[in-house]
Amino acid sequence: MATEVLWWIFAAAIVGTSLGVVASRSIIHAAIFLILSLAGVGALYVILMVEFLALVQFLIYGGAVTVLILLALMLTRMGASGLPEKLTGSQAPFAALASGGLLAVLIGVAVSTHWPGDVDNSPSDIPIETISDQLFKLYGAPFVIASAVLLVALIGAIILARQEEGE
Amino acid sequence: MITEQAWLLAAIPAGMFLLLAFAGRYLPRQGDFLGVAATGTSFVLFFIVLANFLGHREGLGPWVNDIKWSDVGAFHLRMGIYIDPLTIVMFGVVTTVALMVNIFSMGYMKGEPRYFWFFAVLQLFAASMLMLVMADNLLLLYVSWELVGLCSFLLVGFYWEKRSATEAAKKAFVTTRVGDVGLLIGIILLYKATGTFNIQGIIESAKAGEIGHTYLFVSMLLVFLGCMGKSAQVPFHVWLPDAMEGPTPVSALIHAATMVVAGVYLTARLLPVFEVADGTLLVVTIVGLVTALLTGFMALAQTDIKKVLAYSTVGQLGFMFVALGSGHRDAALFHLMTHAFFKALLFLGSGSVIHATHHNQEMGKLGGLWKKMPVTGTTFFVGCLALAGVAPLAGFWSKDEILHGSQKWEGGWVLVLLGFAAIVTAFYTTRLFIRTFMGKPQDEHVYEHTHESGLFMTLPLVFLAVLAAVSGLLIFNGVGEALQFPGGFTEFVFLEEPERYHIDWALAGGSVALAVIGIYSAAWFYWRGSLVRSTRLAEQNPGLYDMLKNKFYFDELYQQGIDRAVLGFSYVVSWFDRYVVNDTGVDGTAQVTGYSGSILKYLQTGRVPNYAMAIALGVLGLAIAGLVLRG
Amino acid sequence: MVPLENYLVLSAIVFCLGVYGVLSRRNAVLILMSVELMLNAVSLNFVAFAAYLDPNRVTGAIFAVFVITVAAAEVGLALAIVIRLFRHRSSANVDEAATLKW
Repeated sequence: MATEVLWWIFAAAIVGTSLGVVASRSIIHAAIFLILSLAGVGALYVILMVEFLALVQFLIYGGAVTVLILLALMLTRMGASGLPEKLTGSQAPFAALASGGLLAVLIGVAVSTHWPGDVDNSPSDIPIETISDQLFKLYGAPFVIASAVLLVALIGAIILARQEEGE
Repeated sequence: MITEQAWLLAAIPAGMFLLLAFAGRYLPRQGDFLGVAATGTSFVLFFIVLANFLGHREGLGPWVNDIKWSDVGAFHLRMGIYIDPLTIVMFGVVTTVALMVNIFSMGYMKGEPRYFWFFAVLQLFAASMLMLVMADNLLLLYVSWELVGLCSFLLVGFYWEKRSATEAAKKAFVTTRVGDVGLLIGIILLYKATGTFNIQGIIESAKAGEIGHTYLFVSMLLVFLGCMGKSAQVPFHVWLPDAMEGPTPVSALIHAATMVVAGVYLTARLLPVFEVADGTLLVVTIVGLVTALLTGFMALAQTDIKKVLAYSTVGQLGFMFVALGSGHRDAALFHLMTHAFFKALLFLGSGSVIHATHHNQEMGKLGGLWKKMPVTGTTFFVGCLALAGVAPLAGFWSKDEILHGSQKWEGGWVLVLLGFAAIVTAFYTTRLFIRTFMGKPQDEHVYEHTHESGLFMTLPLVFLAVLAAVSGLLIFNGVGEALQFPGGFTEFVFLEEPERYHIDWALAGGSVALAVIGIYSAAWFYWRGSLVRSTRLAEQNPGLYDMLKNKFYFDELYQQGIDRAVLGFSYVVSWFDRYVVNDTGVDGTAQVTGYSGSILKYLQTGRVPNYAMAIALGVLGLAIAGLVLRG
Repeated sequence: MVPLENYLVLSAIVFCLGVYGVLSRRNAVLILMSVELMLNAVSLNFVAFAAYLDPNRVTGAIFAVFVITVAAAEVGLALAIVIRLFRHRSSANVDEAATLKW
C-alpha cells in the first residue's frame, strides 16, 4: 500500500521534472531538472527491488553525466544568464504533434497488449547474484566490448575537446 | 535412284554458282564454258531422268524421296523431292532454255563487265528453278521461289551503273514481294488447316474435305496472289516490261520461259486444291483473261522490241491461267512448253538484233534487217508464226488446246474473248516482225553497221526454232508413243485421267482463221503504207492511243498510291518521333528531373532539427503502419 | 502492487517528452539532455519488463546496465563536439549551424 503511494509520488515527480527539462527557459535550470528526473527513476528502481541498478543510476547518471553537462555549460559560459536567444525553436508545434502521436501509439499498445508471463501483477525480487551471474557469464562479451567502447569514447572526447595552438 | 539424279540436276548448277562466284574472275575466259558445262550436264541428266521415268512400266507414279529436316517438339518437317510428269516437263523446259541461253550469252555478253558474275547467277537461277519444280513441300518451294526472285533482281540490275536498271530491279522485287506475302500467308493458313507443308498431303486433305470452305477459298486466293505476282498478271504486270533493262539473255531465260512460269507451275501443282475450293478457278480464269486482253492492247503501241515481247509474255501467261482455270492442266502445261521455246527464241533473236545494231531497240530505228541478218530473221519469223498460232507450228497446237478447254465455260464468253486476244496477239506479232525485219530501213547509219551475229548466238536460235516448229506435234498420240511415252502430251500430263487427243476441226479451223485475220490486218497497216496508215489512225484517236502507249496508266496510278501511303505514313512517324519520343520522352524526362530536383532541393535545409523531425515522423509512420497491419 | 502497464505508460510519457525536447530545443546541450531523458525512459521500461515478466534471467536489467554505459560514453563525446562547435562559432544554436544546405 505504501509502495503504491510512493510510486505515484515518484511518478509525478519524474513527469514534472522531465517537463522542466524540455520546457525550462534557462539551461542551468534544465540541467537541475534532469538530475532530479534521473534520481526519480533511480527511486523507482528501488521500488522495483533492483537495488543494484538504482545504485548505478545514481552514481553514473547523477554523478558523472550531469556533472559533465554542468561542467561543459560552466566552462563555455553557455550557462551565463542573460543570453538573448530563446531556447525553444520554431519547430515546437510540430514537435508536439509528433511526440503526441507517438505517445498515443505507445500507450495504446502498452495498455492493450496482454503481456505474457505476468503472473500476479507484482514484480519479483531481483537479487544481485542473478545480475552478476548473467552479466559475467552470458553477456561477458558485450561487457568487455562495452568497456572498450567507453575507452574509445573517452579518448575521442579528449582529442576532440583539447585546445589547439593559437585557439 | 531417279530422285538422286534429279537432285544432281539442281545441285550441279548450284555448285557451279559457288565456283564461279568466288573464283570465276581468275578462270580462263572467266569460266563461261563452265556455266555451259553445268547447264549441259543438267540437260543430259534430264534425258537420263526421263528415260528412267518412262522405263518404269508401273505407270506414271510419282517418285518421292525426302529427308528429315527438323524435329522440334510437336513440329516435324520433312523436305524432299517429288517427281511426276509435271516435274519432268518443267525439267525439260528449264534445262533446254537454260542451256540455250548459256551458249547464247557466250556471244552476246562478250566484253561486258562482270562477265563471270553473269554466268554465276545464271547457274544459281537454274538450280533454284529446278529445285522449285521438284520440291515436295511448300516451304522448300517458297525458299526456291524467293531465290529465283533474288536471281531476277540480281540479273535485271546487272548493269547497275544505269539508274533505270536499278529502279527496274527494285520494282521487280518489290512487286513480286507483294504477291509473295500473299503466298506465305496462304501457305501458313494451309499448314494450320492440314498440319503439313507437304503438297501431296495438302491435296489429300483438301480432297477429303477436311478444310472449311471459306477458309480454303481465302487461302487459295492468297496463294494465287503469289502466282499473280510472280507471273506478272494484272495488276502485278508492271514489273515485267521494266525488267527488260536486264541483258537480253536474262529476259529470254527468266522473263519468258522459266521464272514467270513459276506461278503457272504452282497453280498447276495445286490445281486439285483449287478445284475443291469453288470459285477460285473462276477468279483464275478472269485474271488470265483480263491480263491477256489488256496486255495485248498495250503491246500494240510499244515501239521497243523487247517491250513488245514482254507484254506478249504476260499475255500468253494469261492464256495459260485461263487454261488452268478451265481445269485443263495439260493444255496449260503444253502451252507453257511451246511458249517457252518460241518466246525464248524471239527474245534471243531480238538479242541478236540488239547486239548487231549496237544496242538499238527502238523500232523507229530498225527496219529491213532481214537481208542483213538472214539466220536471225528466218528463225525470228518461225518464232513469230508460232506465237501467232499458225499451223503446223507449236503455238497453234497449244493455243488451240486452250481454246478448246475454254469452251467449258457457259455461254462461251471466255472462248470469244480469248479468241479476240488471239487476234490481237497475231496483230502485234506481225507488226513487230514487219517493222523490224522488212520494209525500208529507218536509220541508215544503223543499217550500215548491222551484220549477222556469230555462231554462239545463231546456233541456239536455230535449235530453238526447230523446237518451236515441231514440239507442237507432241500432242499426237502416235508421236508420243514413238518416243516411248505412254501417249501424246495430254496422256502424259493430266489431272485426273489421261485424255486421248482428238482434233476438233471446227475449232482448229477457227483458230487458224483468227491468226490469219490478225496477220493480215497488221500487214495491211504496216507493209504497204509503211507507217502512214498507223500514224493516221493514232492521230485520229489520240485518247485511245495515249492510253495504250502509257499502258493504261497503271504505273502512274501505283506511284501516286505509293507516294501518298509512304509519305502519309512518314508524316505520322516523324511526328511521333519529334513530339513523343524526342520532346516528351527525351527532353521531357530531363526537364521533369531538373524541375523536381529544383523543388526537392529545399528539403536540404541543413538544420538538424528538421532532419530529426523527419526521423521522428518516419518512426511514427512506421509505428502506425505496424499497428494497422497487426489489426 | 502497481501493475506493469503503469511503468510502461510512465516510460512512454518520459520518452515522448524527450522526443519533444530533441525536436524543439535550440541549444545543443539541451538536445543532449533530452536524449538522456529518452535513454532513461527506455532503461526504466526494460527493467520493468525484467522485473515483472522475466525474473529468472533478468535480461532487461542487463540491458539497462549497458544502456547506462553507452549513454555515459555518448554524453562525453557529444559534449566534446558541442564544445568544439561552441568555440568555433561562439554559439551552440543548432538552428544557425546550417551551412550544409541548398
